[in-house]
Amino acid sequence: MKPRVLVAQMSFVLLLIGAWEFGDRVGAFDRTMLPPPSEVAGALRTLLQSSEFLADASNTIVRVMAAFAIGAPIALAIGFMMGENIDLGRSLSPVFNLVLSVPQSIFLPIFVLLFGLGFTEKLIFGITHVFFVVAVNAMAAARGVPHGQIELARSFGANKLRIYRSIYLPAMAPQIVTGLRLGLIFDIIGILLAEMYASRDGLGVLLLRWGESYDVDKLMAATVLISLATILINEIMRILESRVGRWQQAAEPR
Amino acid sequence: MTSARPLVIEARRLEKVYGVGRAPIVALQDISFVVQEGSFVCLVGPSGCGKSTLLQILAGLVPSTSGEILIEGAVMRKPAPDKISVMFQDATLLPWKRVIENIEFPLEIRGRKAAERRERAAAMLSLVGLAEFGERYPHELSGGMRQRVSIARALAPDPRILLMDEPFGALDEQTRIKMGHELLRIWSQTGKTIFFITHSLTEALFLSDVVLVMSHRPGRIVGVIDSGLPRPRTYDIIGSAEFGAARNRIWQLISLDDDEVAGEGMVSL
Repeated sequence: MKPRVLVAQMSFVLLLIGAWEFGDRVGAFDRTMLPPPSEVAGALRTLLQSSEFLADASNTIVRVMAAFAIGAPIALAIGFMMGENIDLGRSLSPVFNLVLSVPQSIFLPIFVLLFGLGFTEKLIFGITHVFFVVAVNAMAAARGVPHGQIELARSFGANKLRIYRSIYLPAMAPQIVTGLRLGLIFDIIGILLAEMYASRDGLGVLLLRWGESYDVDKLMAATVLISLATILINEIMRILESRVGRWQQAAEPR
Repeated sequence: MTSARPLVIEARRLEKVYGVGRAPIVALQDISFVVQEGSFVCLVGPSGCGKSTLLQILAGLVPSTSGEILIEGAVMRKPAPDKISVMFQDATLLPWKRVIENIEFPLEIRGRKAAERRERAAAMLSLVGLAEFGERYPHELSGGMRQRVSIARALAPDPRILLMDEPFGALDEQTRIKMGHELLRIWSQTGKTIFFITHSLTEALFLSDVVLVMSHRPGRIVGVIDSGLPRPRTYDIIGSAEFGAARNRIWQLISLDDDEVAGEGMVSL
């Protein structure tokens, strides 16, 4: 990015925050509904020092990571098999695409009925969020491996393992990482939603509680924190994505 | 080319049938021919006559339904990368590897040491005249350059035989002519046996010692033309009377065989 563009973007963000602070100081906004950024920053500092908040945050993080750790490998394996086996892909991919087009939030009450309100329910809800998008991308990645490259490797005497390692893996990597990035974001959405809907702990339920009790400074502080964390995760995954796919971005416009 | 040199390829009554069952399609029928060591043999025929299938069988990538192939006297059943390298119409360079790494790829598969691979790949790269392009990526090269890299890669494992499936088919006319000259130079420098598929009669005659003429439905060999044209060859030879006579003979073989499909078969003169 050009430095000038970056400066302009940063100035815009700073300007918004400045206007917000200024508006509160001159009394243009209702401070109980919209506390100034300085107060939100203070609340954020307090939250980060509160062991209760950190316990809730770690509960959420554990749920997100567990759902990803279970859902992503299974989705990669099934997606790959769907890409390799035409019949399997034909029968499953329309179902997967339909599931992806339905807002998964509407299934939450059913999940609660089936699995109760504990860790299991949130874990499974998170897994369903990870699974489909990762599987569909893995399938597309496997299908996209050019047949000619496989034939080429075979003609030079490559065995199955070598073909997977030297052709499939690099050819599939960019789209796999895209799937994983989306899966992780969907995962976070799913877990927070499940926590906000009904939970004893976690960041989601805190947001809900603070909203209902007009603890707006804490609410805003947590919202800002979660936003920054997800932006950071997304950006890290995007960097990874462009690293493994550097050859692709360069090669494709031709 | 009539001197008795050892045979490196012997195809014996090859047959390929697809879709065994109610409506089997005979893609190749009774294909027999021999290729002498160090010779340049072209296989010419209309699109869809089974040329590529034949090449895949010769490469050991696809099994034949019946018949057998002898490579240097031994029956071949699976890819023999020590003896044969294959070049496809599309250069099929791996886009995530640099040019030099692409040339190293067959040696990497064979588990050669990195230094040895690099040295061999660099030598092959200079042989095809692209010594300065090793660090580039395939997408940075033109179509003709990519095919040169593909030739260098095919030569890297030092095979006896090069099987080429319309390698210059996707190039423009000028590049194609230039690549033909290049290939003849590399051929005379390395002494490989080349089996080259094309649907261009001119290209086939210009390059080869022997032209195998194929026809379709089912794919079979309808004639073997030993052009006897002198070497080394320049492009002028294409205008010569002998060249024209040989081309007419091939054309007749193809069109006599099946008048109604000769037009649609897309053999370019």
